[in-house]
Amino acid sequence: MQVTLKIFRFNPEVDKKWHYETYTLDAPETDRILDLLEKVKGHVDGTLSFRRSCAHGVCGSDALRINGRNQLACKTLVRDTGAKITVEPLLGLKVIKDLIVDMKPFFDNYKTVLPYFINDSPLPADGKERLQTIEQRARFDETTKCVLCAACTTSCPSFWGSETYLGPAAFVTAHRFIFDSRDEAASERLHILSETNGVARCHTVYNCTMACPREIQITKAIGEIKLAMITGKLD
Amino acid sequence: MRRTLPLNKRGLNFETLMWLFTRLSALGMYAFILMGAIGALIMGARTQMNMADLMRWSFMPNTTHVQNTNVLDLSMWSNPFWKVSASLLYLLAMAHGVHGLVVVCDDYIAGATGRKIVRFLSIVVMVVMGPIGLMVIWA
Repeated sequence: MQVTLKIFRFNPEVDKKWHYETYTLDAPETDRILDLLEKVKGHVDGTLSFRRSCAHGVCGSDALRINGRNQLACKTLVRDTGAKITVEPLLGLKVIKDLIVDMKPFFDNYKTVLPYFINDSPLPADGKERLQTIEQRARFDETTKCVLCAACTTSCPSFWGSETYLGPAAFVTAHRFIFDSRDEAASERLHILSETNGVARCHTVYNCTMACPREIQITKAIGEIKLAMITGKLD
Repeated sequence: MRRTLPLNKRGLNFETLMWLFTRLSALGMYAFILMGAIGALIMGARTQMNMADLMRWSFMPNTTHVQNTNVLDLSMWSNPFWKVSASLLYLLAMAHGVHGLVVVCDDYIAGATGRKIVRFLSIVVMVVMGPIGLMVIWA
Protein backbone atom coordinates (compact mmCIF):
# COMPACT_ATOMS: atom_id res chain seq x y z
CA MET A 1 0.00 0.00 0.00
CA GLN A 2 1.04 3.59 -0.52
CA VAL A 3 1.77 5.45 2.67
CA THR A 4 2.04 9.19 3.26
CA LEU A 5 4.54 9.84 6.00
CA LYS A 6 4.60 13.35 7.46
CA ILE A 7 7.62 13.87 9.67
CA PHE A 8 8.50 16.70 12.05
CA ARG A 9 11.84 18.15 10.97
CA PHE A 10 14.15 20.56 12.75
CA ASN A 11 17.85 21.05 12.24
CA PRO A 12 19.17 23.64 14.72
CA GLU A 13 22.18 24.36 12.47
CA VAL A 14 20.02 25.37 9.51
CA ASP A 15 16.40 25.92 10.54
CA LYS A 16 15.09 28.86 12.52
CA LYS A 17 11.82 27.06 13.01
CA TRP A 18 10.60 23.49 12.80
CA HIS A 19 8.59 22.28 9.82
CA TYR A 20 7.05 19.10 8.46
CA GLU A 21 8.19 17.13 5.45
CA THR A 22 6.01 14.61 3.67
CA TYR A 23 7.27 11.42 2.07
CA THR A 24 5.31 8.95 -0.03
CA LEU A 25 6.41 5.36 0.35
CA ASP A 26 5.33 1.91 -0.68
CA ALA A 27 5.01 -0.27 2.37
CA PRO A 28 3.17 -3.46 3.32
CA GLU A 29 0.73 -2.96 6.17
CA THR A 30 2.83 -5.25 8.33
CA ASP A 31 5.69 -2.76 8.24
CA ARG A 32 6.45 -0.93 11.45
CA ILE A 33 6.72 2.86 11.62
CA LEU A 34 10.39 2.33 12.46
CA ASP A 35 10.79 0.51 9.12
CA LEU A 36 9.32 3.54 7.33
CA LEU A 37 11.69 5.90 9.14
CA GLU A 38 14.62 3.63 8.19
CA LYS A 39 13.45 3.69 4.56
CA VAL A 40 13.36 7.48 4.53
CA LYS A 41 16.76 7.75 6.21
CA GLY A 42 18.35 5.03 4.04
CA HIS A 43 16.88 5.89 0.65
CA VAL A 44 15.40 9.39 0.64
CA ASP A 45 17.02 11.73 3.15
CA GLY A 46 20.03 10.59 5.17
CA THR A 47 19.85 13.66 7.42
CA LEU A 48 16.69 12.45 9.15
CA SER A 49 17.53 11.86 12.81
CA PHE A 50 15.78 9.58 15.26
CA ARG A 51 16.73 7.26 18.10
CA ARG A 52 16.51 3.50 17.76
CA SER A 53 18.38 0.58 19.23
CA CYS A 54 16.91 -2.88 19.74
CA ALA A 55 13.93 -2.34 17.41
CA HIS A 56 11.96 -4.93 19.37
CA GLY A 57 10.15 -2.92 22.03
CA VAL A 58 12.65 -3.56 24.80
CA CYS A 59 15.15 -0.70 24.82
CA GLY A 60 12.58 2.11 24.76
CA SER A 61 14.65 4.33 22.46
CA ASP A 62 12.13 5.04 19.74
CA ALA A 63 9.13 6.42 21.61
CA LEU A 64 7.54 8.97 19.31
CA ARG A 65 4.25 10.75 18.82
CA ILE A 66 2.62 8.79 16.02
CA ASN A 67 -0.66 10.21 14.77
CA GLY A 68 -0.89 12.19 18.00
CA ARG A 69 -0.32 9.27 20.37
CA ASN A 70 2.87 8.34 22.18
CA GLN A 71 3.95 4.94 20.92
CA LEU A 72 7.08 2.95 20.18
CA ALA A 73 7.87 3.18 16.46
CA CYS A 74 9.10 -0.43 16.55
CA LYS A 75 5.79 -1.75 17.90
CA THR A 76 3.37 0.28 15.80
CA LEU A 77 2.35 -1.25 12.48
CA VAL A 78 1.15 0.53 9.38
CA ARG A 79 -2.10 -1.41 9.60
CA ASP A 80 -2.72 0.21 13.01
CA THR A 81 -2.12 3.75 11.81
CA GLY A 82 -3.61 3.72 8.32
CA ALA A 83 -2.04 5.19 5.20
CA LYS A 84 -1.66 8.73 6.55
CA ILE A 85 0.96 8.83 9.25
CA THR A 86 2.32 11.80 11.16
CA VAL A 87 5.45 11.28 13.24
CA GLU A 88 6.53 13.90 15.77
CA PRO A 89 8.94 14.01 18.71
CA LEU A 90 7.71 13.51 22.28
CA LEU A 91 6.03 16.51 23.86
CA GLY A 92 7.39 18.37 26.87
CA LEU A 93 11.10 17.81 26.14
CA LYS A 94 13.33 20.09 24.09
CA VAL A 95 13.88 18.96 20.51
CA ILE A 96 17.57 18.50 19.71
CA LYS A 97 17.15 17.50 16.08
CA ASP A 98 14.20 16.13 14.10
CA LEU A 99 12.67 13.37 16.25
CA ILE A 100 15.37 13.40 18.94
CA VAL A 101 14.53 15.11 22.21
CA ASP A 102 16.72 16.00 25.16
CA MET A 103 15.99 13.27 27.71
CA LYS A 104 18.03 14.85 30.51
CA PRO A 105 15.08 16.28 32.52
CA PHE A 106 13.38 12.88 32.25
CA PHE A 107 16.41 11.00 33.59
CA ASP A 108 17.07 13.66 36.25
CA ASN A 109 13.56 13.00 37.57
CA TYR A 110 14.17 9.28 37.32
CA LYS A 111 17.34 9.54 39.41
CA THR A 112 15.51 11.56 42.07
CA VAL A 113 13.48 8.54 43.25
CA LEU A 114 16.58 6.42 44.04
CA PRO A 115 16.07 3.93 41.20
CA TYR A 116 18.21 1.18 42.65
CA PHE A 117 18.00 -1.56 45.24
CA ILE A 118 18.86 -0.42 48.77
CA ASN A 119 19.45 -2.89 51.56
CA ASP A 120 22.23 -2.36 54.09
CA SER A 121 21.24 -5.28 56.33
CA PRO A 122 23.68 -8.18 56.59
CA LEU A 123 23.18 -11.02 54.16
CA PRO A 124 21.10 -14.01 55.30
CA ALA A 125 22.89 -16.66 57.35
CA ASP A 126 23.67 -18.78 54.29
CA GLY A 127 25.33 -15.75 52.71
CA LYS A 128 23.31 -16.17 49.52
CA GLU A 129 20.10 -14.65 48.24
CA ARG A 130 17.56 -12.46 50.04
CA LEU A 131 14.56 -14.70 49.44
CA GLN A 132 11.00 -13.60 48.85
CA THR A 133 7.76 -15.47 48.28
CA ILE A 134 5.95 -15.68 44.95
CA GLU A 135 3.33 -13.28 46.33
CA GLN A 136 5.98 -10.78 47.45
CA ARG A 137 7.52 -10.85 43.98
CA ALA A 138 4.14 -10.52 42.30
CA ARG A 139 3.40 -7.37 44.33
CA PHE A 140 5.66 -5.24 42.12
CA ASP A 141 5.84 -7.39 38.99
CA GLU A 142 3.83 -4.94 36.91
CA THR A 143 6.22 -2.05 37.43
CA THR A 144 9.34 -4.07 36.59
CA LYS A 145 8.23 -3.98 32.95
CA CYS A 146 9.12 -0.31 32.42
CA VAL A 147 11.62 0.31 29.61
CA LEU A 148 12.07 4.04 30.36
CA CYS A 149 10.87 5.10 26.92
CA ALA A 150 9.26 8.26 28.41
CA ALA A 151 6.00 7.71 26.51
CA CYS A 152 4.07 8.03 29.77
CA THR A 153 5.81 11.04 31.25
CA THR A 154 5.64 13.01 28.01
CA SER A 155 1.92 12.31 27.67
CA CYS A 156 1.23 13.80 31.10
CA PRO A 157 -0.24 17.35 31.19
CA SER A 158 1.38 17.99 34.57
CA PHE A 159 4.79 17.27 33.01
CA TRP A 160 4.02 19.50 30.01
CA GLY A 161 3.39 22.28 32.54
CA SER A 162 6.75 21.90 34.22
CA GLU A 163 9.50 19.37 33.65
CA THR A 164 10.39 19.39 37.33
CA TYR A 165 7.30 17.26 38.01
CA LEU A 166 8.77 13.81 38.60
CA GLY A 167 6.31 12.18 36.25
CA PRO A 168 4.77 8.72 35.79
CA ALA A 169 7.97 6.89 34.77
CA ALA A 170 9.74 7.97 37.96
CA PHE A 171 6.69 6.91 39.99
CA VAL A 172 6.66 3.52 38.29
CA THR A 173 10.31 3.00 39.20
CA ALA A 174 9.68 4.15 42.76
CA HIS A 175 6.75 1.72 42.98
CA ARG A 176 9.00 -1.11 41.80
CA PHE A 177 11.31 -0.61 44.79
CA ILE A 178 8.85 0.62 47.43
CA PHE A 179 6.84 -2.59 47.23
CA ASP A 180 9.87 -4.90 46.94
CA SER A 181 10.05 -6.80 50.24
CA ARG A 182 13.87 -6.94 49.99
CA ASP A 183 14.31 -3.16 49.69
CA GLU A 184 14.74 -1.00 52.79
CA ALA A 185 14.39 2.54 51.44
CA ALA A 186 10.61 2.77 51.00
CA SER A 187 10.44 5.52 53.59
CA GLU A 188 13.05 7.69 51.82
CA ARG A 189 11.26 7.27 48.52
CA LEU A 190 7.86 8.09 50.01
CA HIS A 191 9.32 11.26 51.49
CA ILE A 192 10.70 12.24 48.07
CA LEU A 193 7.39 11.47 46.37
CA SER A 194 5.44 13.50 48.92
CA GLU A 195 7.16 16.75 47.93
CA THR A 196 5.53 19.38 45.71
CA ASN A 197 6.67 17.71 42.48
CA GLY A 198 5.59 14.29 43.65
CA VAL A 199 2.45 12.18 43.43
CA ALA A 200 0.12 14.89 44.76
CA ARG A 201 0.42 16.60 41.38
CA CYS A 202 -0.92 13.55 39.54
CA HIS A 203 -4.41 14.58 38.41
CA THR A 204 -5.42 11.02 37.48
CA VAL A 205 -5.67 11.94 33.80
CA TYR A 206 -4.81 8.35 32.74
CA ASN A 207 -2.79 9.54 29.70
CA CYS A 208 0.21 7.64 31.05
CA THR A 209 -1.68 4.36 31.29
CA MET A 210 -2.96 4.77 27.73
CA ALA A 211 0.48 5.69 26.41
CA CYS A 212 2.51 2.90 28.03
CA PRO A 213 3.75 0.48 25.32
CA ARG A 214 4.29 -2.18 28.03
CA GLU A 215 0.69 -1.81 29.20
CA ILE A 216 1.68 -1.03 32.77
CA GLN A 217 -1.27 0.19 34.85
CA ILE A 218 0.60 3.35 35.78
CA THR A 219 -2.25 5.35 37.29
CA LYS A 220 -3.08 2.35 39.48
CA ALA A 221 0.57 2.17 40.59
CA ILE A 222 0.53 5.88 41.47
CA GLY A 223 -2.68 5.28 43.45
CA GLU A 224 -0.94 2.48 45.36
CA ILE A 225 1.91 4.83 46.26
CA LYS A 226 -0.60 7.41 47.54
CA LEU A 227 -2.31 4.72 49.58
CA ALA A 228 1.02 3.57 51.03
CA MET A 229 1.69 7.15 52.13
CA ILE A 230 -1.59 7.25 54.01
CA THR A 231 -1.79 3.73 55.43
CA GLY A 232 1.91 2.82 55.57
CA LYS A 233 1.10 -0.66 54.23
CA LEU A 234 3.68 -2.01 51.78
CA ASP A 235 2.26 -5.48 51.12
CA MET B 1 5.62 -10.73 57.93
CA ARG B 2 3.47 -7.63 57.24
CA ARG B 3 5.45 -4.59 56.16
CA THR B 4 3.97 -1.39 57.56
CA LEU B 5 5.70 1.94 57.90
CA PRO B 6 5.14 3.96 61.07
CA LEU B 7 3.42 7.33 60.75
CA ASN B 8 6.60 9.41 60.69
CA LYS B 9 8.11 7.36 57.86
CA ARG B 10 5.34 7.68 55.29
CA GLY B 11 6.12 11.12 53.91
CA LEU B 12 2.98 12.58 55.45
CA ASN B 13 3.98 16.21 54.97
CA PHE B 14 1.70 19.23 54.49
CA GLU B 15 1.54 18.62 50.73
CA THR B 16 0.26 15.07 51.18
CA LEU B 17 -2.14 15.99 53.96
CA MET B 18 -3.63 18.77 51.82
CA TRP B 19 -3.99 16.30 48.95
CA LEU B 20 -5.88 14.02 51.32
CA PHE B 21 -7.92 16.91 52.70
CA THR B 22 -9.00 17.93 49.19
CA ARG B 23 -10.38 14.43 48.58
CA LEU B 24 -12.11 14.14 51.94
CA SER B 25 -13.49 17.69 51.86
CA ALA B 26 -15.19 16.87 48.54
CA LEU B 27 -16.96 13.98 50.26
CA GLY B 28 -17.81 16.26 53.19
CA MET B 29 -19.31 18.82 50.82
CA TYR B 30 -21.50 16.16 49.22
CA ALA B 31 -22.85 15.32 52.68
CA PHE B 32 -23.65 18.97 53.46
CA ILE B 33 -25.20 19.55 50.02
CA LEU B 34 -27.43 16.52 50.47
CA MET B 35 -28.37 17.75 53.93
CA GLY B 36 -29.26 21.19 52.52
CA ALA B 37 -31.37 19.72 49.74
CA ILE B 38 -33.25 17.41 52.12
CA GLY B 39 -33.70 20.28 54.58
CA ALA B 40 -35.11 22.52 51.88
CA LEU B 41 -37.50 19.80 50.73
CA ILE B 42 -38.73 19.22 54.28
CA MET B 43 -39.19 22.92 54.90
CA GLY B 44 -41.30 23.67 51.89
CA ALA B 45 -39.29 23.38 48.71
CA ARG B 46 -41.85 20.96 47.33
CA THR B 47 -44.55 23.64 47.20
CA GLN B 48 -42.94 27.00 47.80
CA MET B 49 -39.60 26.95 45.96
CA ASN B 50 -38.42 26.51 42.44
CA MET B 51 -35.42 24.46 41.34
CA ALA B 52 -33.05 27.43 41.55
CA ASP B 53 -34.04 28.13 45.15
CA LEU B 54 -33.60 24.48 46.06
CA MET B 55 -30.10 24.46 44.55
CA ARG B 56 -29.21 27.67 46.34
CA TRP B 57 -30.33 26.21 49.64
CA SER B 58 -28.38 23.02 48.92
CA PHE B 59 -25.12 24.72 48.06
CA MET B 60 -25.40 27.62 50.51
CA PRO B 61 -27.96 26.81 53.22
CA ASN B 62 -28.04 30.40 54.43
CA THR B 63 -31.29 31.89 55.68
CA THR B 64 -30.36 35.40 54.58
CA HIS B 65 -30.17 34.15 51.02
CA VAL B 66 -33.66 32.67 50.74
CA GLN B 67 -35.78 35.64 51.80
CA ASN B 68 -36.95 36.29 48.27
CA THR B 69 -38.59 32.87 47.98
CA ASN B 70 -42.28 32.33 48.49
CA VAL B 71 -41.68 30.71 51.88
CA LEU B 72 -43.52 32.91 54.36
CA ASP B 73 -41.89 31.88 57.62
CA LEU B 74 -38.08 31.75 57.63
CA SER B 75 -37.73 31.57 61.40
CA MET B 76 -37.48 27.77 61.48
CA TRP B 77 -34.46 27.97 59.20
CA SER B 78 -32.69 30.69 61.09
CA ASN B 79 -31.18 28.56 63.82
CA PRO B 80 -27.64 27.61 64.86
CA PHE B 81 -27.92 24.19 63.19
CA TRP B 82 -28.26 25.65 59.70
CA LYS B 83 -25.78 28.42 60.42
CA VAL B 84 -23.14 25.94 61.56
CA SER B 85 -23.96 23.71 58.60
CA ALA B 86 -23.65 26.66 56.20
CA SER B 87 -20.39 27.78 57.83
CA LEU B 88 -18.82 24.33 57.58
CA LEU B 89 -19.89 23.92 53.97
CA TYR B 90 -18.52 27.37 53.18
CA LEU B 91 -15.16 26.77 54.87
CA LEU B 92 -14.78 23.32 53.31
CA ALA B 93 -15.63 24.63 49.86
CA MET B 94 -13.25 27.56 50.21
CA ALA B 95 -10.29 25.47 51.41
CA HIS B 96 -11.05 22.80 48.80
CA GLY B 97 -11.29 25.33 45.99
CA VAL B 98 -8.30 27.43 46.98
CA HIS B 99 -6.09 24.37 47.35
CA GLY B 100 -7.33 23.12 43.99
CA LEU B 101 -6.27 26.42 42.45
CA VAL B 102 -2.84 26.15 44.08
CA VAL B 103 -2.40 22.67 42.59
CA VAL B 104 -3.46 23.89 39.14
CA CYS B 105 -1.04 26.83 39.45
CA ASP B 106 1.75 24.36 40.31
CA ASP B 107 1.27 22.87 36.84
CA TYR B 108 2.22 26.18 35.28
CA ILE B 109 4.52 27.81 37.81
CA ALA B 110 7.61 25.64 38.29
CA GLY B 111 9.86 28.14 40.10
CA ALA B 112 10.15 28.01 43.88
CA THR B 113 9.54 31.77 44.27
CA GLY B 114 6.47 31.72 42.03
CA ARG B 115 5.02 28.84 44.00
CA LYS B 116 5.69 30.62 47.28
CA ILE B 117 3.84 33.69 45.97
CA VAL B 118 0.86 31.54 44.93
CA ARG B 119 0.75 29.90 48.34
CA PHE B 120 0.99 33.25 50.10
CA LEU B 121 -1.84 34.67 47.96
CA SER B 122 -3.97 31.60 48.65
CA ILE B 123 -3.57 32.15 52.39
CA VAL B 124 -4.41 35.86 51.98
CA VAL B 125 -7.58 34.95 50.06
CA MET B 126 -8.67 32.55 52.79
CA VAL B 127 -7.85 34.92 55.64
CA VAL B 128 -9.76 37.77 53.96
CA MET B 129 -12.69 35.88 52.44
CA GLY B 130 -13.23 33.48 55.36
CA PRO B 131 -14.45 36.05 57.91
CA ILE B 132 -16.47 37.94 55.27
CA GLY B 133 -18.34 34.76 54.33
CA LEU B 134 -18.92 33.82 57.97
CA MET B 135 -20.19 37.34 58.66
CA VAL B 136 -22.76 36.99 55.86
CA ILE B 137 -23.98 33.72 57.39
CA TRP B 138 -24.04 34.79 61.05
CA ALA B 139 -24.66 38.55 61.06
